[in-house]
Amino acid sequence: MARKNRNPVGKNVDPEAQKKKTRTLTLKSSDGQEFSISESAAVLSIAIENMVEDDCAGGVIPLPLVDGGTLARVITYLNKHAEDGASDEEKRKFDEEFVSGMEMGVLFDVVLAANYLDIRGLLREVRRRIADRMKNKSVEWVRKTFHIESDFTPEEEEQMKKEFAWAWEGVDSDVDD
Amino acid sequence: MGSIRVDLGCRIHPETIDHFDRLPDSLILLIFNKIGDVKALGRCCVVSRRFHSLVPQVDDVIVRVDCVISDDDASGTSSSSSASAASDKSRYPISSLFRIFFSGIFRPLQSLTQLITPSSVAFLQLNEDVDSETEQTAIPESFYTNGGLKLRVVWTISSLIAASARHYLLQPIIAAHKTLENLVLTDADGQGVLSMNKEQLEELRVKPLSASSASKRTLVPALNMRLWYAPQLELPNGMVLKGATLVAIRPSEQPKKEVVGSEGNWIATAFEEPFRTAARMLVKRRTYCLEMNSF
Repeated sequence: MARKNRNPVGKNVDPEAQKKKTRTLTLKSSDGQEFSISESAAVLSIAIENMVEDDCAGGVIPLPLVDGGTLARVITYLNKHAEDGASDEEKRKFDEEFVSGMEMGVLFDVVLAANYLDIRGLLREVRRRIADRMKNKSVEWVRKTFHIESDFTPEEEEQMKKEFAWAWEGVDSDVDD
Repeated sequence: MGSIRVDLGCRIHPETIDHFDRLPDSLILLIFNKIGDVKALGRCCVVSRRFHSLVPQVDDVIVRVDCVISDDDASGTSSSSSASAASDKSRYPISSLFRIFFSGIFRPLQSLTQLITPSSVAFLQLNEDVDSETEQTAIPESFYTNGGLKLRVVWTISSLIAASARHYLLQPIIAAHKTLENLVLTDADGQGVLSMNKEQLEELRVKPLSASSASKRTLVPALNMRLWYAPQLELPNGMVLKGATLVAIRPSEQPKKEVVGSEGNWIATAFEEPFRTAARMLVKRRTYCLEMNSF
């Protein structure tokens, strides 16, 4: 993503972009932890950008729906993507490692945060990761992995399995990967 | 012993939260849209009631048809002229695939992308070779050297047969999905693209197809075909097309429009650059006309 405020050659640097890089914002998580982040990184979140533009970002931005652990992860992501000179290839690699290391519960924390903060790239990565974990997996595996309890009656379930028998081809074994 | 039980209880408790319970429907749909694969979505239907109610709202469904469209009268020609090397993949009976659609769970599909892995190309336009550096991998070298023009005619016919087979396969899908507004069908190599807009889909629903005698494909109507061919075509930007071929086909029964001038235009507008320029150049060359009976 080529943002106009990033200029690798260093000429004609937009003064506004420079200011964003040096200005820092403070984000406050639901459990009261505070994090400093450069404005240029923070505004990769559309929600934060809107808050900054509406000038309700005086001092500290409270994010009551994001806990500290999740916010720390999100900030790691934002910093990487706002980093000067990080190539697209580098970012792609970072994204992959970033989501592949997450436990399931964390993935869901992050997908909620990315949705709430409107960070499109992160949202895309995380939902792809979750979707990938569901592909080629059995119904039982999906239930177990995501802690979903079946709310079908045994009869209904039997009926469904018949109806969707075509969907059972090409399913991996239930061994965790 | 008691303490062990307590430990287990503690460990299990936070794990038992249904992760998806925390997500709004809209977010689950975003995730389902990334799954794509029709079988995985089918299994999702069986996971829980909530999943079952959400899956039919998914927009992006990919159906992989791991089969080669085999058509008896095509086999002779396609083996000599087919463009792709991947001809003998696993052959699943097509009927088992289309059961999916008859079961009707994906009825509200808005858009359906279907990937097919057949051996031949539906709509051949041009093949390019940029300064001989990048080879088009799917097109065997022999194609260029081996009786160029004649082979192209054969290739075109086999493309028509493949296209009519696909058209035939699409009919049940289109019939089953009244809300389908846009359909794009490509082969795995991305060489052939069939796209149908709302009007064309509607037309197909209203006018039932006539199957050909082989009855695995739509009857191809009698056709007028024009073919332009250049063993080598140099574009103004320096790109060189080897064996550039342009084929324009229309049903014989359609009233003849005014030829070359306007035709050259509508043909050219069907392409993106640089092929648009190439098409413009090609129509100025010698035109080969072919008429074909319905087959």
